[in-house]
Amino acid sequence: MTETCAVPAPAGPAAGFECRDIRKTFFRNSAFEIRALCGVDLSVNPGDFVTIIGSNGAGKSTLLNVIAGTFPLDGGTLLLDGEDISGLPEHKRAAYIGRVFQDPRAGTAPSLTIEENMCIALRRGKRRGLALGVNSARRQVVRENLCLVEMGLENRLKIQVAKLSGGQRQAMSLLMATIAEPRLLLLDEHTAALDPKVAATTMELTDRIVTARGLTTLMVTHNMELALEHGNRLIMMHGGRIILDVGADEKKELTVPGLVQKFRDVAGESFATDRMLLD
Amino acid sequence: MLVTLSSALEQGFLYCFMVLGVYITFRVLDFPDLTVDGSMALGASVCAVLIVNGVSPFLATLAGTVSGAGAGVATGFIHILLKSDSSDTNYGPKLISGILTTTALYTINLRIMGRSNIPLLGEVTFFDKIGSFVRVQMRHWPLVLALLILAVIVKYIVDWLLHTDLGLSMRAIGDNEQMIRSLAVNTSFTRVIGLAVANSLVALTGALVAQQQGYTDIGMSVGVLVAGLAGVILGEAIFGVRSISWVLFSVIGGSLVYRILIALGLRVDWIKPTDLKLLTALFVMIALGAPVIRKKVMKS
Repeated sequence: MTETCAVPAPAGPAAGFECRDIRKTFFRNSAFEIRALCGVDLSVNPGDFVTIIGSNGAGKSTLLNVIAGTFPLDGGTLLLDGEDISGLPEHKRAAYIGRVFQDPRAGTAPSLTIEENMCIALRRGKRRGLALGVNSARRQVVRENLCLVEMGLENRLKIQVAKLSGGQRQAMSLLMATIAEPRLLLLDEHTAALDPKVAATTMELTDRIVTARGLTTLMVTHNMELALEHGNRLIMMHGGRIILDVGADEKKELTVPGLVQKFRDVAGESFATDRMLLD
Repeated sequence: MLVTLSSALEQGFLYCFMVLGVYITFRVLDFPDLTVDGSMALGASVCAVLIVNGVSPFLATLAGTVSGAGAGVATGFIHILLKSDSSDTNYGPKLISGILTTTALYTINLRIMGRSNIPLLGEVTFFDKIGSFVRVQMRHWPLVLALLILAVIVKYIVDWLLHTDLGLSMRAIGDNEQMIRSLAVNTSFTRVIGLAVANSLVALTGALVAQQQGYTDIGMSVGVLVAGLAGVILGEAIFGVRSISWVLFSVIGGSLVYRILIALGLRVDWIKPTDLKLLTALFVMIALGAPVIRKKVMKS
């Protein structure tokens, strides 16, 4: 059993990812104009797990959304494995990019069964034709993946996802985002809507999957502790820019007060006024 | 009484394909598709014109069915044109695209037929062919049996389709469009296919009804969508929704129950046949409105 529960090794090398001068403005030329991203440059090595923190309106979620293609870029280039993906529509980028949202309901289709959801995810980036969506070979892969989360979901394959708890649904979302081995994994505050205990299990699962598969990962979070505990690189955003970039060695030494001090040094304003970042 | 029952079941089975189509659009794709009123008459017109021109009724029925897919594709593409961006899931563009197709189809159907109706009396129909093959006159119970078999076959085809990779994507579109797009599905394209399938089922009903009643008429499909909704609602309420395979049987059952209710309604002295659309509309309004009103009452 323990053997089947091991995360399968990655099929190919994880991708390097690069943002060059990414820009995004909402409500341009109106009274409500918001410059959400003002030239973001970011180069991520293959297999890096980058945590991104910042206050509300810092541009972290917008950054993930423009990478995924939810809204178009105003300027700049996105390179995945050296390949320009800036012009691709969302569903085409999704062939390479896995994504987990904050809302546990966002990542799964409630009226479909567990195995149907997982098999849909298994076909990421492949042709979806008239072959049966669930067959015994796929079911086996699904089972192996489900037993990673140790929730007994592998024995409830024909249950509708609507009947699962938020934590179970988010664990499934994580599996569904990673089962087809995307070249890039985007986590958008994916534990923020869960209760603390479930959030901790979900983070533990995240670490396990990301490490075992060597996935290049960007994780947005409000929680500084989370950002320090996980990943091998930390990025802080403010006002639509990256204002701090901490590598693996320095990150290990860093504490929450140390991070707050760094923010003060860089941004020149008080971090403490920002309640959201300290929650 | 038995004759009334058999003719109610006949109608129920004839219209069950349309009800399946309405189920696919409203429930599976979450797309309130108003194309139905036009695509049923389209299927009937195409089928009738071909039969009158000597084409085999099997081929004519098939052509009628496929023409419905064309109507669905039209609505799908108009929807792509009208929606503000790829993540626009509003009902507005969905409703308008169906209305536009239906309106256009009124003209197209008249053009296809060349006039407002085509009688098929004396022509050899789909049912005559099957009847002569099994040497039974296709009326009443034999007809009900033949339609039952056809309904079961079509049910299993739809069931299979909804369990393929493509079908799972279609079902996920109605369930959680953002999620299925983030799993690399082109939702616009997949929705077009779903609409094509649904409207070909509707057109199949059109083709069969025309042959069964012996004529096709430009007005034959007015308000058929609401009847379809009634069938879906009745089926789900009476027979349940435990799984997709089950619910496909449920909505066929709903179609039968609806036609039986109509037959019973017509036995009431003061109800005229022309009252049925009003009664059906009221029924659908109450069925859709009751849960909403209950929720509001519970809140207050």
